[in-house]
This record gives sequence, structure tokens and C-alpha cells, in this order.
Amino acid sequence: MIRLTISCLLIILLVFQGMAMSLLPAKIAYSELLMTPHWVLCFVLIIAIFFDKDDTYHCVWYGMIFGLLIDVVYTGVLGVYMVTYTIVAYVIHGVHKWVHETFFVSLLLAMAGVGLADAVLYVIYSFVQITEMPWWNYVVLRLVPTILANVVFFVFLYPLMKNRVERWSDMWKST
Amino acid sequence: MPSLFRRKRLMTVLIGFIILVALIGFSMRDRSELSVPEKFLQDSVGWVQTVLLAPVQLFDDSYQNIQKMLNVYDQNEVLKTRLDEYKGLIQENQQLQKDNDELRAALDKTESLRDYTPIQSTVIARSSDRWFEQMTINKGEEHGVEKDMAVITSEGMVGKIISAGSFHSTVQLLSGFDESNKISSWVVREDEENTFGLIEGYDSESGRLLLEGISLDEELEEGDTVISSGLGGVFPSDLRIGTVDEVENDQSGLTKTAYVEPFADLFDISHVIVVDRDVQSTNDEEEEEGEGQ
Repeated sequence: MIRLTISCLLIILLVFQGMAMSLLPAKIAYSELLMTPHWVLCFVLIIAIFFDKDDTYHCVWYGMIFGLLIDVVYTGVLGVYMVTYTIVAYVIHGVHKWVHETFFVSLLLAMAGVGLADAVLYVIYSFVQITEMPWWNYVVLRLVPTILANVVFFVFLYPLMKNRVERWSDMWKST
Repeated sequence: MPSLFRRKRLMTVLIGFIILVALIGFSMRDRSELSVPEKFLQDSVGWVQTVLLAPVQLFDDSYQNIQKMLNVYDQNEVLKTRLDEYKGLIQENQQLQKDNDELRAALDKTESLRDYTPIQSTVIARSSDRWFEQMTINKGEEHGVEKDMAVITSEGMVGKIISAGSFHSTVQLLSGFDESNKISSWVVREDEENTFGLIEGYDSESGRLLLEGISLDEELEEGDTVISSGLGGVFPSDLRIGTVDEVENDQSGLTKTAYVEPFADLFDISHVIVVDRDVQSTNDEEEEEGEGQ
């Protein structure tokens, strides 16, 4: 049941990610800055921080499955988002063992996660020549705006989901 | 057993890397069709998108309607004056159409590169990654959409189909075109013959298309219209593409390159028409019968 709820939420985020690009006013969504929504990843990170215990790896699986879905639906180049989200979920899961889960810390983790994911995407896509942006342009035009935009989303998502996800985590353990 | 654990991790990384390379290689090659699991996933997500889009669209539409209502009066005045001009134009057009039909009948040549069957469809999502200038529409192979068909709006051409699922397909926008997607086109000039060129890419800095291969002795003027020629084999002719904005000599100095401002707004698209060219499909008798009914 919990798995189903999480999957549904992730699918809805995935769909909204694409809808945001077509419905947001063109001035925001299509300015010089290549803001990229990583909303699915934001939620996967919340799962990594608040749902997973030290010995469970749900976030990694969610990252893998929904990364693959993004590949199929939005880019057509398979495997890139899948591997990226898997790595990032694993790394953040590893890091969060050593820190306390306050709001500020999880915000930093989310920033690091989104930044890392986007950087890995950039590296892979420039290897297969989908983008030919020089890296300093990339950092200014895409990396920084993307991190900021997703942090805004994370700040919205955090109060909505934090307690709920923690409750699910307790329920998961007791079953 | 730390060594065993480390070995397991190493294996995972290696296997992951191999899977990544294999999947990228599989999907980047020039495929004529999507694989079955991909089609399945694309269609299932497509249905969810359609369902979730409905309420959002309702809100968006009513907001836009209110905005439009504010300047209805001014528009109405302008349109009324235009209407009188069009009356004459319609008559002239009908006359020309009749002449054209008669002449074609006399020549025994009834099919033209211009004819196409429109497939109306709605945009349900855009790629969330801006490096992929793609969008998803709610018509697929079941409705007659095929790979490489042109996609237009009422303003002009916006792109082409890069992959068709059963009920949804993906459109590559003009802004994502590169050298592998050429459009053979005519530049229409006043009082002169049309001149030929190939749309060979998109200059993302200025937001204009690159029209290359124009011969040096052709004089292009700013504002000349660029339309598709239909000679490339996939697109019909006379699809409006854009206007010439700037002309300069090619790097090699043998041809000219023109920067073309697209007619269509490539960002704010909600309804599109997929263009199914008739000439090709007449080779196929079954399809012709299907269209006749």
C-alpha cells in the first residue's frame, strides 16, 4: 500500500514536470536560463532522507525505475536519467547516515543531490554529443538556475511530505 | 567480510556502466520504430498525462479567455476592415482553384505534392529537459501518425515526428533540428523565380533557423517567405516555415546562408496538426481506400 502511494505520487510529479514546461508562462520556462525541473528526484531524496533506514535501499529502486520512465517519456535516450538518479539516491542515502535530519541539513542534501544529478547528466550528454555547451556556460546558464528552482520546489514539498513519509517509514518497519 | 562487500559494489558499478552504454547505444542509433516496452510506457504515461491535464487546461483556458476578452473590441475593428479585402480574394482564389483543377485534369495529373491529410492533435507535455526540444502529442500510429511526418500549427511549421507510439507520439521541434533533419525549401520572392535552399539547423543563440546552400547569384531580401518544397520526400510542399531575416556568405564562400525567423511560436504551442502527405500513401492501395471512405 505504501509502495503504491509513493509510486502514484512519483508518477504525478513526473507528469507535472512535463506539464510545467508547457503551461508555465514562456518568459519563465524559456528564458536564457535552462531551468530543468527535477521534481521526481526531489521526492526520491525525501524518501532517501526520511523513509529509508540505514539498511534499506528503497530510494535507489525508486530512482532507477522513475529515472527510466523519464528517459522513455521525455528524452528518448534510455538509461541516462536511470543511472544518474540511481547514483544520486545511493550517494545521498549514504551521506544522510552521518547527519541529523533537520530542515536545513535536508535542504543542503537536496541541493547537493540536484546539483550532482544535473552535473552527471551534463557529463553523459556531452559524451554522446546531445549538448555541446562549454562547461562554464553550463554552470551559469543551467546548473545554478536548476539548483535554485528545485530548492524552491523542495521547500514546498518538505512541510507537506516530511511527517507523512516518516509515518510511512514507521508503519513499514512495524509490518 | 569487507573485501567481499567491496567486490560486490565494484561489480554493481561495472554492470551499471555496461547497462548504461548498451542502453544509450540501443536508443541513439537510427531506429525506425520504438521497442514494444517503450511504446507501452509512453502510452501509459500519456493516458495519465491526458487525465491530469484536463483540469489544469480548464483553469489555463479560462484565464486566457479573460485576458483575450479585454482586447476583443480593438481586434474586432481591425478584423472588420480585413474582411472586405478577403471577399474579393476568395472569389479570385476559387477561380484559380477551378482553373488549376481543369488544367490538371487536362494534363491527367491529379495528385500534387501539396495535398495532405491533416491529423488534429493536442500537446499533452513537453520534455522537461531543455536540451531535448521535444513534446508529446495525443495521436499515434492508431490515428495514422508515422515517423518523420511534418507537424504544423496554424501559423506555420513547428517540427516533425521523431517517434510514434500507438496512441501518443513525440515531436522534435524546429529548435532541436540539426544536420540530420534537413528540410528542402523554396524562398518565395516577388517578381522572381523561387530559389532553393536547405534548412540545416537552428541557431539557438538568436532563435533562428539556418537556410543553407543558396547559390551565390541569388539575391534574397529581408522578409522573403520560406516554404517547404516537398522535394525531400516526406513533407508536402507549401508548408509555411518562416521569413528571411539576414543573409550572409557561407564560410566556404561558395554558397549563401540565410537566417530564417520561424512563423510559429515554438514555445507556446497547445494544438498542432500532423501532416500526412497524400502522394506517398497513394502507392498503397489499402490506405487509399481507407482515406476515401
